[in-house]
Amino acid sequence: MKKFVKSSKQNWLAWAVGVAYLVMALTRPVTAARAAVLSVQTFVELIATLVTVFVFVGLFQVWVNDAFIMRHMGEGSGLKGITLGAGLGTVLHGPLMGVFPLFRALLAKGAKLGVVIAIVSTWATKLPMIPLEIRLFGWKFALLRNGLLFASAFVMAPLMELALGKEWGPRYRARIATEIEQEAE
Amino acid sequence: MTLTDYILIGVVLALLAISASKSRPKTKKALLIGGKQFWNVLPFFVAVFGLIGLLEVLLTPAQVQRWLGAGNGMLAPFYAAVFGGLATGPPAAVFPLGEFLLAQHATVAAVATLLIAWVAVGTVTLPAEIRFFGPRFAFSRWALAFVLSIVLGLTMGVLL
Repeated sequence: MKKFVKSSKQNWLAWAVGVAYLVMALTRPVTAARAAVLSVQTFVELIATLVTVFVFVGLFQVWVNDAFIMRHMGEGSGLKGITLGAGLGTVLHGPLMGVFPLFRALLAKGAKLGVVIAIVSTWATKLPMIPLEIRLFGWKFALLRNGLLFASAFVMAPLMELALGKEWGPRYRARIATEIEQEAE
Repeated sequence: MTLTDYILIGVVLALLAISASKSRPKTKKALLIGGKQFWNVLPFFVAVFGLIGLLEVLLTPAQVQRWLGAGNGMLAPFYAAVFGGLATGPPAAVFPLGEFLLAQHATVAAVATLLIAWVAVGTVTLPAEIRFFGPRFAFSRWALAFVLSIVLGLTMGVLL
C-alpha cells in the first residue's frame, strides 16, 4: 500500500490525465474516444524510437567511461564542449522527453550543464529534416532558422549556467549517482 | 515509422552487435539498465501521450490560425510559443502545419516561433523534466526556451 502511494505521487500526471479522460468520456464520449485513438497512434509511432533510445542509454552507461566525458564535455571543456553538444542536438532524434534519461546519464558521468543545454538548444534542428524544411519553406528560411538555432546554443548555455549557479552540477551528480545505482540493481 | 526511425534502429542494432562481440556480460548489463529505466518512466510516457491526444482534439487548426495571423502583430509569435509549447510533437508533424499556417496568412515570425517552440519548449513534458532534473532546472530551461523561440521567431520575421 505504501509503495502504491509512493508510485501514485510520482505519477500524478497519469492520474490527472486519467481523470480528464473519465470526465470527457462521460460528457463527450465521441471526442474522448478520438483523443484516445490519437494518443495510441502517437504512442505507437514513437514506441520504436523510445525503445532504441533506452537501449542506447544502457550501452552508453556501460561503455562510455567518465574520463572521456570529463575530457570532452566536462567543466573545463569550454566552447568545444558546447559545440559538441550543439552538434549532438541536431542529430539526436525523438521527442525532447525521450532523451531526458540520456541527459541524466551525461550529467552523472561528469558532463557540464552547458553541454546538456547546448543539446537542448539545437533540438529543434533536425539534420535529416532539413530537405523537408527547404522544400516547404525555401532554403533561405531553413538556413536562417537552423543557423540561428545553432548560434543560440552559445547564448543559452552560459545563461542557464548563470541561472542555476556553479554548485548545481556537483549537487545533481551526487543525488543522481545513488538513484542510478539503485535502478541498475 | 519514418526513415529516420529505421536508420536509428539500424545504428542501435549495429552498436549492440559491436558491444556483444566485445563483451557479452557488459551488453547484458546495458540492456538491463536500459530496460529498467524504460519501465520506470513508462507510466509517464503513457500519461503524456494521453495528454497529447486530448490537446489534439481540443485545439483545432482553425483556432490556431485565428491566433497567429498578422492582425495580432507582436502577439502572434507569443501565441505561437504558447501553442507550440503545449502541442509538443515530432518535428516532421509541425513542418506541414507551419506551411499551412503561412499559406493562411500567419506571420513568418509566428510560424518560425511555432517550429522552434513545438520541439524545444515542452510545456506538457515539464512534469517529467521536473522529475528528472528538479524544479529549478526544469523551470529555468522552460522559460529560456520559451523566450528564445520568440526572439528567434521575431528575428526571422525581420530578416525575411
